[in-house]
Amino acid sequence: MATTYTEAQLSVDQLLDRPWVTVVWDDPVNLMTYVTYVFIKLFGFSKEKAHELMMQVHNEGRAVVSSGTREEMERDVQRLHEHGLWATLQRDDKI
Amino acid sequence: MSNFEKLGDGYSLALTQDEAHILINLVEQLLELLGEGDFFHHYDSSDPLAQLMAMPEEIATPDDPVLMRLLPNAYSDPEAASDFRRYTEPALRGSKQRVLRKVREELTVIVDSKIDGVVEELDADIWLIALNDLRLALSVRLEIDSESFEKFELMPDDEPQKPVYAVYYWLGWLQENLLSALTS
Repeated sequence: MATTYTEAQLSVDQLLDRPWVTVVWDDPVNLMTYVTYVFIKLFGFSKEKAHELMMQVHNEGRAVVSSGTREEMERDVQRLHEHGLWATLQRDDKI
Repeated sequence: MSNFEKLGDGYSLALTQDEAHILINLVEQLLELLGEGDFFHHYDSSDPLAQLMAMPEEIATPDDPVLMRLLPNAYSDPEAASDFRRYTEPALRGSKQRVLRKVREELTVIVDSKIDGVVEELDADIWLIALNDLRLALSVRLEIDSESFEKFELMPDDEPQKPVYAVYYWLGWLQENLLSALTS
């Protein structure tokens, strides 16, 4: 998949060791069982871990579900969008 | 009421003519909204040259709030969001179209038969995504929030939007039903 990452950004991120994170946001439509199911399917979480993250989305309005390079997070966000979840990515330090 | 059932290694869904009609109409409306023009339709999408030639300069953020919900921004920063959309929106749109077309294909068999039928050996992941996208689309039009179900229950029967709410909650029931068949 194509990425919007530039070489300069990459080296700065590596130097500062600032990973990127994928954030899933709460919405009134997605079923709690479906969100849990998608977390298990896409990230291979245990049922308990997936349920815990789903509850965090539900109660706190959002949860970080993965972290890594910008490219990896762009891929995760895309897969979450394919499944209809509301997800964004951002730098870890902006959370 | 229809139920997803585990049948051997797969899942099946029995639908009445009315139910199949409701579903196929919603699927076709959403396909229309997503645009039937498949981005890589005439190309082998794995061909890098075709991908390069097909890459647009920029893809505008959708005006329609339903499309905005189905194809959301990946970044809060507008410039990064627009860049990401340029590279990824055709693929996301295409993925949603493929899912809906597959479901439409299965529903067409029942609708054409003119009698109640069963979707056999259905792909549970495809159906979950399709039901979810249909619910997301309807939720935007109905402005669903956490109090909507209570409002729906108190709605008088002659309220014109009541049947649409009923369909929305029926889709949620179907999706929940499939999830419970999958995880039990």
